[in-house]
Amino acid sequence: MLALSTTQKSGLALLVLLIAYALCAPLLQAGDATTQNLSQILTSPNADYWLGTDHFGRNMWLRLAEAMQLSLMMAALCVITSAIIGVTAGVLAATRAPWFDRVMDGIVTMILALPGLVLVLIFAAIVPGSFWMLYVAISLIQWIEYFRISRAITQRLTQSPAVQSSKLMGFGEWYIFRRHYFPAIMPPLFTIAAFGAANAILMMASLGFVYVGIQPPLAELGLMIVEHFPYYSDAPWLLAQPLAALALVVLACQLMGRGKSL
Amino acid sequence: MRQLLLKRLLQLIAVSWGVGTLTFILMRSLPGDMAYRIAASRYGMDAVDSRAADIVREELGLDQGALSAYWQWFTDLLSWNLGNSLVSGAPVSESLWHMLGHSLLLAGAGMAIALIIAIPLGLASAYWGGWLDRILLTVSTVMRAVPVFVIGLLAVIVFALEWNLFPVAGFGTPAHLVLPALTLALSLAAISNRVIHTEAKRVFGSSFYEFARMKGLSPWQAFKHHGIRNIAVPVVAFLGIQLITVVEGVVMIESLFSWPGIGHGLAHAIFARDIPLIQGAALMMGVMFVVLNTLVDIACHYLDPRGGRIA
Amino acid sequence: MSLIHIENLSVHAGSVELLAPISLTVQKGERLTILGQTGSGKSLLAQAIMGNLPASLRTEGDVRLFDQRVNSEERQAFWGKQISMLPQEPWNSLDPLMGAKQQLAQTYHLVAGESSAQAQQSADYTLALQGLQESGHKRVDQLSGGMAQRVAIACAMAGGAPVLLADEPTKGLDVSRRDQVVDQLMTQSEQGALITITHDVAVARQIGGRMMVIKSGELLEEGNAEDILNAPQHPFTKALIDADPVNWADEIRDMRHGEPLISVQDLTIGHGKQALSKHLDFTLHQGEVVGVVGDSGCGKSTLGDTLLGVHKALGGKIERHSNAPLHQWQKLYQDPTAAVSSAVSLRTLLNDMVSLHNIDRSRIAPLMQQLGLSDDLLNRNSEGVSGGELQRFCMLRALLLDPVFLFADEPTSRLDPITQREVSQLLVDVAKQNGCAVMLVSHDPAMIHKRCDRVITL
Repeated sequence: MLALSTTQKSGLALLVLLIAYALCAPLLQAGDATTQNLSQILTSPNADYWLGTDHFGRNMWLRLAEAMQLSLMMAALCVITSAIIGVTAGVLAATRAPWFDRVMDGIVTMILALPGLVLVLIFAAIVPGSFWMLYVAISLIQWIEYFRISRAITQRLTQSPAVQSSKLMGFGEWYIFRRHYFPAIMPPLFTIAAFGAANAILMMASLGFVYVGIQPPLAELGLMIVEHFPYYSDAPWLLAQPLAALALVVLACQLMGRGKSL
Repeated sequence: MRQLLLKRLLQLIAVSWGVGTLTFILMRSLPGDMAYRIAASRYGMDAVDSRAADIVREELGLDQGALSAYWQWFTDLLSWNLGNSLVSGAPVSESLWHMLGHSLLLAGAGMAIALIIAIPLGLASAYWGGWLDRILLTVSTVMRAVPVFVIGLLAVIVFALEWNLFPVAGFGTPAHLVLPALTLALSLAAISNRVIHTEAKRVFGSSFYEFARMKGLSPWQAFKHHGIRNIAVPVVAFLGIQLITVVEGVVMIESLFSWPGIGHGLAHAIFARDIPLIQGAALMMGVMFVVLNTLVDIACHYLDPRGGRIA
Repeated sequence: MSLIHIENLSVHAGSVELLAPISLTVQKGERLTILGQTGSGKSLLAQAIMGNLPASLRTEGDVRLFDQRVNSEERQAFWGKQISMLPQEPWNSLDPLMGAKQQLAQTYHLVAGESSAQAQQSADYTLALQGLQESGHKRVDQLSGGMAQRVAIACAMAGGAPVLLADEPTKGLDVSRRDQVVDQLMTQSEQGALITITHDVAVARQIGGRMMVIKSGELLEEGNAEDILNAPQHPFTKALIDADPVNWADEIRDMRHGEPLISVQDLTIGHGKQALSKHLDFTLHQGEVVGVVGDSGCGKSTLGDTLLGVHKALGGKIERHSNAPLHQWQKLYQDPTAAVSSAVSLRTLLNDMVSLHNIDRSRIAPLMQQLGLSDDLLNRNSEGVSGGELQRFCMLRALLLDPVFLFADEPTSRLDPITQREVSQLLVDVAKQNGCAVMLVSHDPAMIHKRCDRVITL
């Protein structure tokens, strides 16, 4: 049903690689991501520490894997939650009573009145350092995109000959969703999901970067970037690691979602 | 058009209500004696005693039930009584105006540079295609994969720390504006040059553009009379969508460069749990966002007589 | 002096020859019609003459305009002033943001070199001549298809080019509008030359002059239009002419009808508050084939939706005399690709329906044979079959439900003429055999006349 382009396949391959690293890295090296070893700070990558150590002597190979796990988990949770809520609400808004559509439209207008990052910042302020609060806030913003696209497509299709024809032949609503709405929603859904995953990761890193997201000593990509910045000239590889990891995972998602022209 | 403006007005109300409610929840969920902290911010640490705190408690309705406190909170908000900063003690509304100027300067400069970069590149890559298009596509893709604060960080390392061309952070001279504005501009241009490219390509390949040439217009005449406006309509509509990127970029860039705008203020207020300032800054960002969106709506309305933006 | 002279002009995509070498000459005052089916390479010929082929295509051979040998780049200087091409789809060819008059005046000003004031006057004059004086300020989304076509022709002629190329100038137009456009082309071409490219035999007949018949990029025959149309030499030309509804054989129909099926009294149809048609009174009987005609926008499709109960009537009464269940009231659509889901194979869609209504599977094979559908076709999805095949698949699905009423909304208008004849014949035959009442909508009166027992005009 979904024919992936070469670009999308390369994105998928990159993503699989990154997930494999995040999941398997802790199995390959002993220790954990938070143990400090002040006699071994800022060591460059070597046989013991494959990616070196940070300013507290923590094992970067493991810290980076932990940070990746956190980012990927956030992305996956946000995508699944907002896709399910958005598509359900979108299809219902297009096919049910007009008042439901108007109520949904009002809710969307309200949420869109505030830039997403600002909303997430305020949520983050309520329960500082909470992964779950970030998840709720990001999903609260992201479901709208799924909602709008499913609503628009469904609304167009309800008037289409194909749906009318199925209705005339006596098919029920679930059949029409399965054969008409969902196949039409699926391709853009995939694109939105891929970009949504990228955005969720960026959002969490941005909050970490301004110190209001995930709190230390937990490893988080944005947080690591600020923490490592002071050592950029002594240990450039240290700063490069979270930067590269963040760029790669976002790039993987964006390549996966990329259409033809943009 | 009227309906759109009405919708924007509704959004203004929604912003105020949303921000107010969230900060109210934030306040009620804070540990410690809120009244004492607010009193300290008002009268100064030295003048505070439990009597002053009691007065504040009564005034802010902290001794009341949640519902009436909520009501009190809103009456204050609607009368633009935003209170004083818990950290500096200065009135929030005063520092907001100060910050707004800085944020608008940054956003304006960033958007202007972005357009100067994106318009020629987008049009050229659509017209000639080929290697120029491929290079731009690659560069844009990579730039979009990198969050805006990383672009800023790299700019700081290269232009400020290594080459000493511009100051690392702060404000005051035009030189201080260069790196923050450039960072914002690059992150915006990475997306908008592709949008302009796509729209220009659509127009150049459209039947009406071909027909304009067929009926005898020169390439330049066709572009001037039938190209510019048709490309501008979706691009300006897209600007409305990109405003989110602008606002989010402003938050991140101000924090990175210690640029004393609203985004910087908001991030710091959250870090310091300075609730009145959180409320004020978030409110200001929301209002700014809605107002800019309205301006885009109006621009679209005049560019496209068929009636408003589709997005 | 010949206005256009081409010799052995051919078009290639890589090593594939899309248009075989062709030569032609057009003198001043001459009309040339190129007749062929869609996809026969005739549009390529027009583009090759103009010199606006896509960059991926390559031409060979000589083109001389006004006795000058010119390569395709040099030909751009001739556009508008010496040679002009009418767009295929005028509603896509006018600037969507600019009023009709402004576009026309602009051409007079920038191409014909008139002063601004003069250009405004010329535009006013031309619009008035086309009966469009009231519509000068309108943009293309506010014009009807026929009006847009007239504006586009006026724009193409405003530069004063003596040679006009018209590529499918009547595509998608009603018969009355089609005649207007042909008239306009004939008038405009009196001083110069006209090359018309069309698949419509009726248009070719109206324009007359010289004619060339093209199939798959190859020239089949050439000569006087009247001679070819009256005595075609090539079998393909014959088939093409026979496919014109006017030339369909008249047949003796079984005019006996069964019981009344559905009747309407003083019916008003429309959308919202806007009535499209009022005071309709008729009764349909079992086994009857009734044609519905009328100009576009008069509510032909809405009538079907109203009878089927999909759409509410604005007034009047509809009475069903049969208590057949809802799924036996069926509809065929103008564009079958829009009416069939492309998400799964046709077989899956057919099975969905068969199991929903417990249809006897042994009926499928004979009906498919009658409709000329092969079994392996069902393994593809709706995008993998031709429009004619898909429409017959739709008929298969509808007929398996034993319909008592079938509303066929221009079921053949997207098909090429030869397929059109087959499918419409099949529809009428099968419906008659099964005692099903058919309402056949078409914008082509000739086709309705040949296929229907009686006609309702909206």
